[in-house]
Amino acid sequence: MSARSAALEQPPPAAGPAAGRGAGELLHALGPHPLAARLRTGADLARARREAPAPERRPTGLPALDRLLAGGLVPGELVEWVGRRSSGRWAALLALLAATTARGEGAVLVDAGDALEPRDAAAAGVDLARLLWARSATPREALAAAEIALAGGWPLVALDLGDGPLPGRTADEAAWQRLARAAEASGAALVVSSPRRVTGSAAAAVLRGERGGVRWLGPGTAPPLLGGLCGELALERGRPGERGREGARERLLLGVPEALPAPAGEGTEGARRVVAAAEGAAAEGAEGAAEGAAEGARRVVGRVVGTARAVAS
Amino acid sequence: MPRLACLAVPLFPLAARLRSEPELRHEAVAVVEGQGGQARVAAASRRARQGGVRGGMTLPQARALLPGLVARGRDAEGERAAQEALLEVAERFSPRVEDGGEGSAWIDLGESPPPGRPGSDERALAAALAAAAERADLPARVGIAGNKLAARLAALAPGSPTVVAPGGDAAFLAPLPLARLVPDPALRERLARWGLAAIGDLAALPAAEVTARLGVAGTRLHRLARGLDEAPLVPREPPPELREGLELEWPLAALEPFLFIARAALDRLCRRLEGCGLGCTRLGLALRLEPEGHDERALDLPAPTREAKTLLTLVRLDLERRPPGGAVAAFALTAWPGTPRAAQLSLFGPPDLSPERLATTLARLFALLGPDRVGSPRPLDAHRPEGFALLPYAPPPPPPARIAAPPARGLLAVRALRPPLPLEVRVTPEGRPAELRPLESAETANRPRLEGRVRVASGPWQLEEGWWTDQPLAREYWDVELAGGALCRLHRDPTTGAWHADGIYD
Repeated sequence: MSARSAALEQPPPAAGPAAGRGAGELLHALGPHPLAARLRTGADLARARREAPAPERRPTGLPALDRLLAGGLVPGELVEWVGRRSSGRWAALLALLAATTARGEGAVLVDAGDALEPRDAAAAGVDLARLLWARSATPREALAAAEIALAGGWPLVALDLGDGPLPGRTADEAAWQRLARAAEASGAALVVSSPRRVTGSAAAAVLRGERGGVRWLGPGTAPPLLGGLCGELALERGRPGERGREGARERLLLGVPEALPAPAGEGTEGARRVVAAAEGAAAEGAEGAAEGAAEGARRVVGRVVGTARAVAS
Repeated sequence: MPRLACLAVPLFPLAARLRSEPELRHEAVAVVEGQGGQARVAAASRRARQGGVRGGMTLPQARALLPGLVARGRDAEGERAAQEALLEVAERFSPRVEDGGEGSAWIDLGESPPPGRPGSDERALAAALAAAAERADLPARVGIAGNKLAARLAALAPGSPTVVAPGGDAAFLAPLPLARLVPDPALRERLARWGLAAIGDLAALPAAEVTARLGVAGTRLHRLARGLDEAPLVPREPPPELREGLELEWPLAALEPFLFIARAALDRLCRRLEGCGLGCTRLGLALRLEPEGHDERALDLPAPTREAKTLLTLVRLDLERRPPGGAVAAFALTAWPGTPRAAQLSLFGPPDLSPERLATTLARLFALLGPDRVGSPRPLDAHRPEGFALLPYAPPPPPPARIAAPPARGLLAVRALRPPLPLEVRVTPEGRPAELRPLESAETANRPRLEGRVRVASGPWQLEEGWWTDQPLAREYWDVELAGGALCRLHRDPTTGAWHADGIYD
């Protein structure tokens, strides 16, 4: 037995120079030992956290969600999205998948509710060739599929637990913790969408979606067309360094722009951008007068409508 | 001058058996042919030979000499797989390989390059061949010469690898005993009576005299003895699939022991696939059952893979789902090879998925969920909204540079209900939905529950499809907002009047 290992196995002396010293100091005193080399004090950890570069944020494509998540999803973390029926949870998940696949990256949708309509997903902007759709029959199977998918190297794994009643114990806390660790190890963002809170303390951030009303288009008491959904999104639990943002709320507007109100806080700015775009387009129209006034007018109208839609969305 | 290499595995039945059961490598083992008391030793391991066991002995004789002798029957499946593995080793060195059978293969090395040129060091080439065979668990000897006979005899000479210098075939053969050239005992005895002991003695006789006494066969023997083997190399056609298997000593009825043995065979199969730079796209499993019967099954893989653990999981799940109808006496695993997906690393674009990891992950998802539940979705060219096609997942390569994602389109999306949820709907006199009630049944117990007064209903939107077929589809669609705030999509069958919800706006 070496002197060092003998020292490790002896009980610490009750009195003497080592009395009252912490275990870390005792280990440091033993000299170059693998365990001693890995010990850090609380101050070291706090400094390391302060000096660590800010984690990469991946924009979600939804400005409201990006504002709540301080820039977007962070690779390797689990974000839970809880929402009642018709609160925009599914459309937001499709928007996340659309943003990831539009960047040329792959994504996985583990769909416990078997809810994907490919035509809807394509309309939402999802590049279906880059999307892997795994349809699970039960939430437990969905968890296992998500864990497998996290090992595959995709930057985004979305797990939707459907809209039906969830069993009393979808999975214990340890299963979600394991899933969160798998996400951390793989560097993939894991988004869990569920009708009620399931991940416990495993989620780095929790968002809650609420219904805000349905918008119909058309005159009279028999509206002819469904226009959109207004939802509200709240940050129920923020990341460890962003707890101060908890309780922040954003509006989530889904549907055709004509049926939706102007996004909160963007009305004036939106109008200003429309006017600016109109002025710019009008100038372009004037320059193109030689090509024909009609062509210029068409471009003006097209730019104004396009900008208005972009602002509304 | 053409050059040939010969790979020869001595005591091939034993080598094939030890390849399947490597734990016997340090035991006294004999491979026997025949049944019961008539079983004769075909090949014996070094420890058995040190104990006095020789080829041709009956098993009781061998056991009398060495009571601890481990006896195994000849394993046709294992020998076939070992021979294939040997040929695959040879094919890594040259595309022209002849199957010599019984643990031997000839390799066409082409014309001998002049000294100093790449490939001129034939001894290094022979050593590399032997090392490659060793890695495939086959203790092969290597000989290089100018013709097939000389290469084979060089391989079997002590001190492998043996390289016969170009033009030196006759000199190499001359001192070897005639028995190596003449397998027929009667002819050998006749030549011995003439006083011939070595191949060189036969070569020294006048050709016309040998032909006069032994006929055409004598002419051929004489030419062979002079190092003139004109038999051309007949390249083999590689089989479309790779096969590994084993005849079991006793039938296995339980799954776990069978999987333990199948794992070793899958490991060998995956090593062979790796050697060829291929992956498995389809795995076949053929079982011979005891007392009679066969079971054959095939597992399709989403992407070519060569990870034994994943393949074993698939085999396990398939056997658990559909157990064979009896104990397994022999099995054969067949891998249909495919080219694995290649990935190009990018300096500026997003990273591509690793082909190996992707194949393994897809296979594991297949094993967990089933092949009809994993893939890349596509809409159907049809009006019904719930239809979809599921294609194999093969994403296009990522763009060469990182691109920013455009903002979300912010559209409404429907969470589909598959299959559509049957509902009881109270309608107004005008036929508009007024109230939804769920239809209670075992099928709807774990499904979303839609009920309540309808606040707003929009419709009907007509959908008609396949009116020219035997199963036409007609639906009247309604978008309804319930009093609780939920927004769902209903349809009514105009022929039966049945109402279903097939989606929830979410």
